Amino acid sequence: MLTPLLVIPLLGAIAIAILKPQFSRFLGGAFSLASLVWSLYLFSQFDLSLGGLQFSEFHRWIDPVGLNYSLGVDGLSLPLLALNSLLTLIALYTNRSNLERTRLHDSLILLINAGIAGALMAQNLLLFIIFYELELIPFYLLISIWGGEKRGYAATKFLLYTAVSGLLVLAGFLGATFLSQSPSFEFSDLQVQNLDLIPQLILLTTLLIGFGIKIPLVPLHTWMPDTYVEASPATTVLLGGIFAKLGTYGLLRFGLQLFPTAWQTVAPGLAIIGTVSVIYGAVSAIAQRDIKRMVAYSSIGHMGYILVAAAAGTELSVLGAIAQMVAHGLILALLFFLVGIVEKTTGTRDLGVLNGLMNPVRGLPLTSSLLILAGMASAGIPGLVGFAAEFIVFQGSFATFPIPTLLCIISSGLTAVYFVILINRTCFGKLDNDRAYYTRIGFSQQWPALVLTAIILYFGVQPNALLHWIEPTTNSLVVELHQPAIAQIATTNP
Amino acid sequence: MTTTLENPTAKIPPSTHKYADIIHRLEAGGSMLPDTEENLMQIIGIYKAYAVPMDFYWRDLLYIAERVFLDPLPFFKYFLPQEYLDLPNHYAGATADFRVWQKGEASAHPELLEFMDRGELKKKLPKLFHHLWHDRINMEFAEACMQAMLWHQGMGGQFYDYLESEEYLANCDRAIKAYFKGNPLMLGLYKLFPEMFYEKVRELSYYANLGLFWEVMAPVFFEMSDLYDEGKFKSVPDAMDFLVNGIFIAAGRPIYHHVYIGDECYEIIPKSKGFMWLYEAALPYVEAVFYRTAPFRGTKSYNAQAHQVPDEQKDFHYGILYADVFPVGTAGIPPTLLMQDMLHFLPPYLLEYYQNYCRGEDDMLIQLGITFQRSMYNVTSAVIQALRTALLYPLDDPNPEHLLKNRQFFEAQMDRFLRPEARLTDIQSQDYR
Amino acid sequence: MPNIVEIAVSNDAFKTLVTAVTVAGLGDALQQPGPFTVFAPNDDAFAKLLPGTVDTLVQNIPQLQRILKYHVVAGRYTTAELKEMDTVTSLEGSPIPIRCGDVFEVKNATVLAPDIEATNGIIHVIDTVILMG
Repeated sequence: MLTPLLVIPLLGAIAIAILKPQFSRFLGGAFSLASLVWSLYLFSQFDLSLGGLQFSEFHRWIDPVGLNYSLGVDGLSLPLLALNSLLTLIALYTNRSNLERTRLHDSLILLINAGIAGALMAQNLLLFIIFYELELIPFYLLISIWGGEKRGYAATKFLLYTAVSGLLVLAGFLGATFLSQSPSFEFSDLQVQNLDLIPQLILLTTLLIGFGIKIPLVPLHTWMPDTYVEASPATTVLLGGIFAKLGTYGLLRFGLQLFPTAWQTVAPGLAIIGTVSVIYGAVSAIAQRDIKRMVAYSSIGHMGYILVAAAAGTELSVLGAIAQMVAHGLILALLFFLVGIVEKTTGTRDLGVLNGLMNPVRGLPLTSSLLILAGMASAGIPGLVGFAAEFIVFQGSFATFPIPTLLCIISSGLTAVYFVILINRTCFGKLDNDRAYYTRIGFSQQWPALVLTAIILYFGVQPNALLHWIEPTTNSLVVELHQPAIAQIATTNP
Repeated sequence: MTTTLENPTAKIPPSTHKYADIIHRLEAGGSMLPDTEENLMQIIGIYKAYAVPMDFYWRDLLYIAERVFLDPLPFFKYFLPQEYLDLPNHYAGATADFRVWQKGEASAHPELLEFMDRGELKKKLPKLFHHLWHDRINMEFAEACMQAMLWHQGMGGQFYDYLESEEYLANCDRAIKAYFKGNPLMLGLYKLFPEMFYEKVRELSYYANLGLFWEVMAPVFFEMSDLYDEGKFKSVPDAMDFLVNGIFIAAGRPIYHHVYIGDECYEIIPKSKGFMWLYEAALPYVEAVFYRTAPFRGTKSYNAQAHQVPDEQKDFHYGILYADVFPVGTAGIPPTLLMQDMLHFLPPYLLEYYQNYCRGEDDMLIQLGITFQRSMYNVTSAVIQALRTALLYPLDDPNPEHLLKNRQFFEAQMDRFLRPEARLTDIQSQDYR
Repeated sequence: MPNIVEIAVSNDAFKTLVTAVTVAGLGDALQQPGPFTVFAPNDDAFAKLLPGTVDTLVQNIPQLQRILKYHVVAGRYTTAELKEMDTVTSLEGSPIPIRCGDVFEVKNATVLAPDIEATNGIIHVIDTVILMG
């Protein structure tokens, strides 16, 4: 059931590489659409009554090492899988006028799709690492070939940081497996709970730093603004929309799920780091002059919510965390997509230069309107998916971490501040007469944004359509988290 | 030295003004708009497209001033009766006082009639539907121009003073009483708030004023289009000179305000007051609409406390000569209304021209707006040259002192374009579109 | 001594002016005791006007009167007196700028023959029809 999600994009990548360049986008679209349809089919087959893994596949592969081909999905990974395929489709249809070497470009995008899908489905730690590291190569190539002016610098920085992230995660996995003397690297075989708290904490910290780079959390974020800004719009959509989500996914899957006891110990610290990220991201975004950089910093802030929610570890907050991953993936993809259009059309991302894009005839009225909507969604305006997710995050986390949650709520107000700055400068005001001979943006260049907007609106009005897929899994996740605590209390009580 | 002496403008030293080039061009009998074939084609095309809706504007302005008058609920003031569509233009057709437009008829322009009949939808629907769908001539633009004139007032001429005179109020009084005969409610209101009614009549007098002004301009523009089509215009100055002639032909036409109530005509402003088209209509119109007007709602915010709006009305600079045309397309603002009106009547050569630039069909409203701005710089040049002819000296005057006077006049006119909003520099280049 | 109208009628250079005054019905007014100062444009001055201008004015008497009144000032002003003044106010109401010194100019017109005495005033012959504004 799950293998097609790997095979389809791989076949697509091969087909694109072989066939003529003019077919590459069409082929890419067709294959990513096929994998999207397949993941939607999985939704229809998904049993909502089960909290655990479904559609599991298991094939022995390299027994001596403990590496098996073992896949499975639950409510945590399934929505992200669909998001992955959707954003691949969007990325392929992101503005690409004058794009050179389309075959390479498009097959790399499909390889990324396969890599991320594999990481999301892998139930063997080594398999996860393989996918987790594998998709760095296409990303590195995408940034260094199709990136902006400082693409070499950005791509190298990206590769260094994320490779370190992969190494740390690998170290954590190896340590966990060896220390707990598990028979294999199978996720289900690991019995880390039996370890003492100190080794558990060391392992968890290693993983936290590893995934923290990927998310990224302050102060491990420094690779991210450069990378996001230098990458092409299509790459940024994937980077921000789904790639960074692997970090939070790993945190929930391998941190919270594997180390429930240690998790509770580090949770307050995590909440503080998350809050710092939220505030840092928002305040830095306010200070930016470059709209893409502004959106990049906003991403740091919004990923912080996920960490706070994950740290709180209540049913509701973890549900919020996963919902926020999806919501933020959609919104960030839309923002980067639109910023990409603005940059391509106007030739600048400078807030001091851009203005009046709402102009009905000479501006980019539809793009601007969607940008305003995306900004509203990001700022958590009710009726859009950002609100639904953030509200659940706040509600779920407040009981556990009242002060960090309050600070996050205040920072979500800051989101409105920088989006008002962004929108006010770029969309409103007077269109500059000397510059405003922009070309027209046709429907063919905008429809991906409309698709994203439709989904953002739909989930905003009907959040349950998203949440009910996730809920059973978060319930079972959180039960595991609280059981040892209850057991401890039971034993310490005389 | 000897060669330059033959040039009449060389009798005085060159200007050191910021717009010295343009001043020298004006002194050589040129226009503020550079003399290029592209400019000539653009401005003539837009004059024609402007003249057709203008043919509606002037008729309806007179209809409102003369017949609708003080109707408290003027729902149908934009529904021109046949009588006003047939109203003979005094400068076209066989009955003309002076036949400016040689080939045209005195009644409404055929393209206008066709548009009124079928609209943009090209469907024969009841008039009311065309109206509500806004598929019609945007009279709101004409009213906006009228309001600019009403609001600024005091821009020369004797019209404004007369509106405050006892004689005018007495004329109003008779007309108001006759109009509301048998309507105790309105007569009671009149008794309570007479000033309000007078002010309303003053506004209607400006309707008449502007209607009579445009009655001249429409046939002038039609004739220019015909002459261009016949190949009789070779340059932008040709077109400007034709406008100067038109101004002098119409200069002496009376400006008046008559109201028809029942079968009787009430002369609110009688022709015998001697008000003249040039002094009481044309010059105030140019001043109010081309230079001053007021900022439009919805395009840009101004902070009056920060002196972003001038303290003095005479320093207002929101007219077409200073206008930022790019917001055209914003719903409801007067420039959009006018450009929309002109869009319906563009000559084929201009349509084709716009297709080739910028966003083609999509931003035609702005492209034609900028063409309109160019054309109005040419009209303003004509006004400046006409004033120079009337009040100063010929361009080839042998007396250097007279030439210096002309120079001072031109420089004073150009001083008005020194403020950064002026588009005079932009229109020098063909890339501004 | 003849009055203003008589001088104008007797002089061949004022045919257009006389016609205009007659059409405008101002002939009687200018025979009044006054006194008036008249800046009288000769036929060449009228000929300099652009075509159509006169046609329209002749069709519209009040407007023609207004233009003509602009050429008339109440009172008798000789060159010597005008030397002391920058402007005089016309019967029309608008001011007429005067430059009287080395040259004798009335607005944008040059005086060709100053100080022609009449019983009810004085005439200065000018070479251009002056206009308000």
